[in-house]
Amino acid sequence: MTSEFVFATAQYDSGDWDSAPLLPANIIDTIARYTEIPVAPTGVVVALSDDRMLRYPLLYLTGHLPVRFSDAERRNVKRFVERGGMLFVDDHNHDIDGVFHKTATEEIARTIAPLSELPNEHPLFSAFFKFDGPPATSHELNGWGDNLVHKHLLAVRRAAGNRIAVLFSNKDYSSEWNYHPESKRFLTVDNTRFAVNLVVYALTA
Amino acid sequence: MSILAYVRSVRTVLVIALAVRVVAVGTLASLTMLLGAGLVDLVTPLGVVTRAALLVIAAVAGVATSASLAWRDRRVLSLERVALWIEERFPSLEFTLATAVETGDDRVVDQRSAEHWTTTALRRAARVVRAPLASIVVAGIIVLTLPGGVVARMRAPHRGDSIDRATLGSRTNASRLTPLVARIVPPAYTGEQSTTMDEPRDVRAIVGSTITFRGRGKGNGIVARRGNDSIPAASDNDRWSIALRVDARPAALRIVDRGFERIVAIEPVADAAPVVTLVMPSHDSVLRAPTGRIALAADVRDDFGIASAAFEYIVSSGEGETFTFRSGALGATRPNNTRASVSAALALESLDLKPGDVVHLRAVARDANDVSGPGVGTSETRTIRIARHDEYDSVAVEAAAPSDEEKSVISERMLIMLAEALEKVRPRLKRDSLVGVSRGIAADQKRLRRTVGEIVFTRLGGESPGEEHSDEDSPSRGKTMQDMLARADSATNRSTDPIDFSGGESPVVAVNQPLLEAYNAMWDASTELEVAEPGRALPHMRRALAAIQRARAAERLYLRGRPPEVVVDVNRARLQGKDKGTSSVRQASSASDAATRRRIERFANIVELATRNASAAIDSLLLLRIDALADAPAFATALSDAANAMRRGRSSAATEALARARRLLAGAPVARDSLTRWGIVP
Repeated sequence: MTSEFVFATAQYDSGDWDSAPLLPANIIDTIARYTEIPVAPTGVVVALSDDRMLRYPLLYLTGHLPVRFSDAERRNVKRFVERGGMLFVDDHNHDIDGVFHKTATEEIARTIAPLSELPNEHPLFSAFFKFDGPPATSHELNGWGDNLVHKHLLAVRRAAGNRIAVLFSNKDYSSEWNYHPESKRFLTVDNTRFAVNLVVYALTA
Repeated sequence: MSILAYVRSVRTVLVIALAVRVVAVGTLASLTMLLGAGLVDLVTPLGVVTRAALLVIAAVAGVATSASLAWRDRRVLSLERVALWIEERFPSLEFTLATAVETGDDRVVDQRSAEHWTTTALRRAARVVRAPLASIVVAGIIVLTLPGGVVARMRAPHRGDSIDRATLGSRTNASRLTPLVARIVPPAYTGEQSTTMDEPRDVRAIVGSTITFRGRGKGNGIVARRGNDSIPAASDNDRWSIALRVDARPAALRIVDRGFERIVAIEPVADAAPVVTLVMPSHDSVLRAPTGRIALAADVRDDFGIASAAFEYIVSSGEGETFTFRSGALGATRPNNTRASVSAALALESLDLKPGDVVHLRAVARDANDVSGPGVGTSETRTIRIARHDEYDSVAVEAAAPSDEEKSVISERMLIMLAEALEKVRPRLKRDSLVGVSRGIAADQKRLRRTVGEIVFTRLGGESPGEEHSDEDSPSRGKTMQDMLARADSATNRSTDPIDFSGGESPVVAVNQPLLEAYNAMWDASTELEVAEPGRALPHMRRALAAIQRARAAERLYLRGRPPEVVVDVNRARLQGKDKGTSSVRQASSASDAATRRRIERFANIVELATRNASAAIDSLLLLRIDALADAPAFATALSDAANAMRRGRSSAATEALARARRLLAGAPVARDSLTRWGIVP
C-alpha cells in the first residue's frame, strides 16, 4: 500500500474506458498545484475485474459506449463501494438520452443502488474550493450531447453520514479536463479546480 | 351732448388710463427683474443659459402682471359700472344716472354736473398712472447709469459676451486672461458654423480651424505658447486677441500675461476620408466575350462633404512576363453632399478587350478638404476577366461513379431478390420455365463473380483467373481461398511461404480475403442455380453479400492517435523544483512600459496636488490629457471628465473620473481565485 494518492482510471470490458487519456495527468497536476496531498506523478489504469482496484480510494470511470459490467467487475465494484471507495463516473457523451448514461445508471442501480440528485449544498462542493454546485463545462452546450446545462450531479449516498459512494456526472468533465497540464496556463480560471474537491472529498470525507 | 355720451367719454378716459397703467406696471415688473439680474451679474457672472432664462422669465412676469391687472379692472368696459363710478363721485345724482344707463332714458338725470364728469375722470386717471410711469422713468435712469455691458448681457445673452461683462472697480494688476473667449472658425470647406466658448479650457476643433482667443485690455505682453512657437497678442479697442490655426496634433496652449498663465487644451478633430462602397458589380466575373455593358454603382459618404466621385478602371493585357496596362475613369460627379450614390455603365466594346484581358474596377471619392487633404476613399476592386479561347469550362462537375465494391453489392442484392422471388413461385412453375429462369440468374451470378475476381486479381497485381474458358469442372474451380490468397501475396512479393491466416495477416490479405470468400460463395451459388435450385443457392448468395460488405468496411480506415504519456512534475507544480532562490531576492517585474510608468507617476502627482491646489491640478490634468490623446483616448476622456468635475466643484464625480482614469492607466485589476505559478499567465 503506497502512502501517496494515486489517480486510478477504471478499465471495464464493454466500452471505451480510455476516452479521456490526458485527464489523469491534468488532475494530478491540479492536486499538486493546490494541495499538499502527496500525489503520484502518473495515474494508473486498473481493471474493474482485478482485485487491485480495491487499493485506490477514488476510481474514475468514463466512456461513450454502453457500460455492461461482467460478473467479476460487478462484484468488485460492489466490494469497492462497501469498503469505502468512491467511484466517480462521468458521461463523456453529456447526454441523458445517450447509451452511456442509460446503461451506466442502470448498471450502477443494479450493482449498488439507484442514483439520486446530489444537492448543490453538499459538502463535496465546499470540500476545498467553494462552488455553488457542479461547475459548468464548455462542452455542455456544444451541440453534440443533450444540450442541457446539468444543474445537479447524481449520486449514490451511503445510509450513514450522507457520504457519496458513487458520483455520476453528465457535465462531461472528461472532455473539459482532457488536455495537457501545460495548457492550463492559457486559461484565465483553472477549470480543473473541482477535481481538487473530488479528491479531497474522497480522501477525507 | 347727451348724458350717455358723457358717460361714454368718461369710460374712454378710464380705459386709456387702465391700458397705460397695465403696460407700465408690466414693463416695470420686467425691468425690475432684469435690473436685479443685471446687478447680480455685475457681482458674480451669470451664465448664458441663466441669463437667457431670466430674460424669458422677466418677459413672462411682465405679461402676467399686466394681464392680472387688466383682468382685475376689466369692468371698466361696462357703461353701468362707469355710471356707478360717476355716482360714487357725484352723490347728488342719487342713482338717476345708473337708472338712465339701464333704461336708456336720460331725462331723469340732472345734467348740471355732467360737465365735470370727464374732468374728474382725467384727474383720476392721471393719479393712477403717475406712480408706475415715474417708476419706469426711475428704472430707465438706473439703466442709463449702469455700465453698458450689464444691459447688453441681459438684453441679448450669447456665448462670448463674457468679455463685455462690466466689473465693479478696476484693478490695474489684474490678469487680462480672465475673462477669456475663444471663437472657433472651421475651415470653409466644411460648411460648419463658427462657435464661441467662454472661459475655454478644452477646445475640440477640426484640423485647419482658426481659433481666436480674446480678452479685455491691451495685448502688450500677452503671449500664447504652443510647443516652441510663441504668438504675441494683437490689440484692438481695449481688447487683445490671439489667433492660431489648429494642427493635426493635440497641443497645450499656454497663454501668459506677466505672472498669470492659462492653459487651454486643443484637441484636433481629423477629417475622415470618404467611405466608398461598391454596390455593382457585386462580384468578380469571367466573360466569354468582351461585349455588353456593365452597370456600375457605388455609395459614398463623408463626414463633411464629397467633392468628387468617379469609377476608375485598369485594363491589364498580356500573359507570362509581358503585361500592358491602360486606365481611365468614368461616371465622374461632384455631389457636394455628405452622402451620394454614383452610377455609370461600362461598355466593354469601348475598351477593345482581348481574350485574357482583365478589367479592374473600383470607385474613388475625394472630399473637399483643402487643408490637410483631400481625403481619398476607394472601394474594393472587382475584376472582370475575358476568357481565353482555349480555356476549359471549369464549371462542369461530373458525379463520381460508384466503386466496384458498391456495384457488386447492388448486383448481388438484386440477384438475391430474383432468386427469392423464383423460389417463391417455384411450386407453380413448370420444370422448363424454372430451369430457364434459374440459369438466367446463374449467368448473371457468374458475370458478377468474374467482376469480383477481376477486382481482386487486378488489385493484387496478378493475372486474371481466366475462368471464362473453364467450365464447372475445371481445375481452377478447385482453387481454394488459401491458394488464391497465396497467389495474391506472391504477386505482392511479400513472401513465398504459405500465409498464416490465423493471425498477423497483411493489409493486402485483410482487404481481399472477404472478396475471395465472396468469390467462392458466388461460385457455389451459381452452381446451385445452374441445376435450378434457387433455394439452395440463396445461403451462398447471402454469404457472398455479407462478404462483399465486409470488404467495403475493411477499406475504411479509422485512425486513432496514441496520446502522449504525461508524467507530472509534482515538484515543479509546487514550485519546489530547481529554483532555490538564495543568491538574490526575486522581484516581480513591472507590468507596464516606461512611458506608462511615467504617466502613472504624473497621474499620482496630480492626484496628490488636487488636495492642495485644485486649479493647478486641473491644469496638470489638461496637460496630461494632451499627452495621452493620441495613444490613450479613453484615458484622456477620463482626465477631461475629472478636470470638468473639479472645475464645477463636484468632488464625487471628480473622484469617480479619477478612479476610472487610474484603472484605464494601470489596466483593470484581475480577480484571481486560483494560485499561479511564476512566469505563467494565470
